[in-house]
Amino acid sequence: MSQTHARPDHGSTASIPRWVKVFGIVALVLVLVFIVLHLADPGRHGPGRHITSIEHFAQLP
Amino acid sequence: MTMTPRLRKFVLTAHITSSVGWLGAVVVYLALAVAALTSQDAQMVHAAWIAMELIGWFVIVPLALASLLIGIVQSLSTPWGLFRHYWVLVKLLLTVFATIILLLHMPTVSYFAGIAAEAIDANFDGLGGELLHAGGGLLVLLVNTTLSVYKPRGMTPYGRKQNEQRTASPAVDAAT
Repeated sequence: MSQTHARPDHGSTASIPRWVKVFGIVALVLVLVFIVLHLADPGRHGPGRHITSIEHFAQLP
Repeated sequence: MTMTPRLRKFVLTAHITSSVGWLGAVVVYLALAVAALTSQDAQMVHAAWIAMELIGWFVIVPLALASLLIGIVQSLSTPWGLFRHYWVLVKLLLTVFATIILLLHMPTVSYFAGIAAEAIDANFDGLGGELLHAGGGLLVLLVNTTLSVYKPRGMTPYGRKQNEQRTASPAVDAAT
């Protein structure tokens, strides 16, 4: 969004900025939490949840 | 890719409209999911599922695809580029991720909406997942909006390389 309003700063830092590192760590933690939760209880999320739901509805009269 | 200032402004307007529209539609979707989760009224729950399917396929999916495609076109027509700055790259990755999750999840929403339309006494156990998906999507879109406004500094190695080449050969840059 609004990419044309401000000009890029070509003199910016040469190394990876701190905000990118923090962002990457947070994203990694969220992905790991998701994987752990998924492995801990595969029926609550993902295809397993959907299969459970389909079976549930299939049993309805 | 070069654009006239007028066309660039038009594309920017379309990108903001689609992106903010996507965010607003996800808030509405989340409100429906919360209403369905907390309501004791079976008709309300069924109506919410049907509305969620309609909003998903006819509002959220088109806006997500429009935001992604227009954003790519726009970035390629400005000095920001698509891979030159970390904030643009992060936005691209988050948008692609959110769009893929959305497209993978919508058939499930359609399935539950179909059940809702056919059986008024059906019970739903998928609403917790709806809150997770919609809440995660909203978080991603809020991060994207923040990145767009603040434009945090930082060039990628690719961007720095391009910048060095441009600085080394200003005559070539001026000609292009």
